[in-house]
Amino acid sequence: MLLTYLLVSGITSGAMYALVAVGLVICYRTTGHLNFSHGEMYMVGGYFAFTFHVLWGVPYLPSLILAVVAGGVMGLLSDRLVFRRLIKAPPMAMVVATVALSFLLKGIARFLWGGQGEFVPFPSIVSGAPVQFLGVTIFPQQTVVLGVGLLAMVALTLLFRNTRAGKTMQATAESQRAAYLVGVRVERVYSATWAAAAALATLAAVLMAPLTQLTPDIGFSLLIKALAATVLGGLGNMPGAIVGGFVIGITEALAAAYIDSTAQDVSAFVVIMLVLVVKPTGLFGAKGQRDV
Amino acid sequence: MSNAKRLFWLPRGYVIGAGFVGFAVIPLLLSQYYIFIANIALIHIVLAVGLNIVLGFTGQLVFANGVLFGVGAYATGLLMVDAHWPFWFAFPAGTAIATIIGVLVALPALRLRGLYLALATVAFAQFALWVFIHFDSLTHGVSGAVIPPLNFAPLPIIPPVGIYYLSFVLVIVAVYLAINLVRSRIGRAFVAIRESERAAEALAIDVPRYKLLAYFISAVYAGAAGGLFSAVVGAVVPDQFNLFQIVLQFCMVLVGGIGMIWGSVLGAIAIIGLQEMLRGLRELQEVGFGLLLLLTVLFLPGGFGAFLAKHVAGWRENLRNTSEDHAR
Repeated sequence: MLLTYLLVSGITSGAMYALVAVGLVICYRTTGHLNFSHGEMYMVGGYFAFTFHVLWGVPYLPSLILAVVAGGVMGLLSDRLVFRRLIKAPPMAMVVATVALSFLLKGIARFLWGGQGEFVPFPSIVSGAPVQFLGVTIFPQQTVVLGVGLLAMVALTLLFRNTRAGKTMQATAESQRAAYLVGVRVERVYSATWAAAAALATLAAVLMAPLTQLTPDIGFSLLIKALAATVLGGLGNMPGAIVGGFVIGITEALAAAYIDSTAQDVSAFVVIMLVLVVKPTGLFGAKGQRDV
Repeated sequence: MSNAKRLFWLPRGYVIGAGFVGFAVIPLLLSQYYIFIANIALIHIVLAVGLNIVLGFTGQLVFANGVLFGVGAYATGLLMVDAHWPFWFAFPAGTAIATIIGVLVALPALRLRGLYLALATVAFAQFALWVFIHFDSLTHGVSGAVIPPLNFAPLPIIPPVGIYYLSFVLVIVAVYLAINLVRSRIGRAFVAIRESERAAEALAIDVPRYKLLAYFISAVYAGAAGGLFSAVVGAVVPDQFNLFQIVLQFCMVLVGGIGMIWGSVLGAIAIIGLQEMLRGLRELQEVGFGLLLLLTVLFLPGGFGAFLAKHVAGWRENLRNTSEDHAR
């Protein structure tokens, strides 16, 4: 039963990596830039929910919604203050700016919430006690993570396929100039994308916080895993990133059990290096591939 | 450009000369504490200049230098502690080990560009950090290793002053070589690669070979800086070489001025000074350096080097124009 247990926990963390990776992918597809502060947005989003729910005593669901909205506002602000100014700059400027922003957010979080203890616990929406299901021990929160994660992914896919907003985003991703010519307000699309990605990261943080707890340093390790999922699926490929997220989650769980408990942290880095060396376009190869 | 309004006249040579004399007399005038800080600044000058060669001149977005710095420090320190080598053998050997690892990482990285290169080197940096922490039998784990003080036996110098002057000489050699390098055929090839790899190829520049050369040079600089760092600090600990170290190095290169050797020298001194003022306040350091880097990228893409070159007569550096075009 060890294997089944490992698979369940691997799939749970995989769902979260996929959710964070999807945020990275929609930004990359639309703007052509990778947001290295995405992990910190997840972390700050988690602390927003912590502030509303634990510190201010707002009930669970309203604080979830408030946190997601606050996360979206954070994304919008970083677009207005930072990303928009650099959209035409060389990729290097954007990478350095987002790395800088990640340290800025981390420092601010440590300043505001660091006094709450190194790790802060966050209550889950369902009972915290593990239950037996088909002979496997699972935490109810795991099913919540998996369920909401899958729901969000389906919703996003539908949004991209069927709504006007989603199609506008895809058009902008395809060709910025052509989208501009047919009347798409490219800057607005970018703002909406950064905001949506940050809101998505916040949602993932609220779901996952009961299982992992919150600490100002959680963002970067999560970012690396989401990046690994993104690279594995082919940079810019959304279904690829989702599959990649699950693969990374399961790989980690198996590596921790069968190789060494410390191997869990390292498998994501190894996956990134291997994929980039062997097949930089990833498992599925992205359409409209940019320069590798 | 040449008729831009100058604020005042201050030739670069005067400032460099004053800085040279200042750093040369620090051990004679100031306390051990200031000697230590100045020594750390000297080491970071070597690091920043090395990073600028690969990041600023060749245009390769690498995050590996912070960790190669760590490899140099670890290799030198562990050869002294566990193999009981004297520093004079451990230091070149440690530099060589860091260089070899740097080149081994660079070989697969030659295929990658832009974001992909950044991703691969970030992953490598985290992987190496993981090795520092978890390979206890080799690296002494999280708590690190304490390194015995150096011995300048026949000479009548105390260790801190001895290492200080050793670093000082190394900085002079490193900066001298870098300035001559970037003015040479090799340096121009680097800039050509940065501006456009395809155009560089069309000019019959062997792009992979020159890129490898750039990685090699910056690994030598990072490794040598690491070896000295372990001797100055007297310990190697994984935490010294995490992502924050890389952000500090990026700050030095970008705030000083990307693609400007003297900019990196000034940047390294300024950033180490700033870090010393914020010592012990982790969140303030994160906010401070994050904000500094962000504001530089947003409002002063050429860094203070470009600012000085534009507004102060006598500050132009070779290849400045191309670096400013690049930043735009």
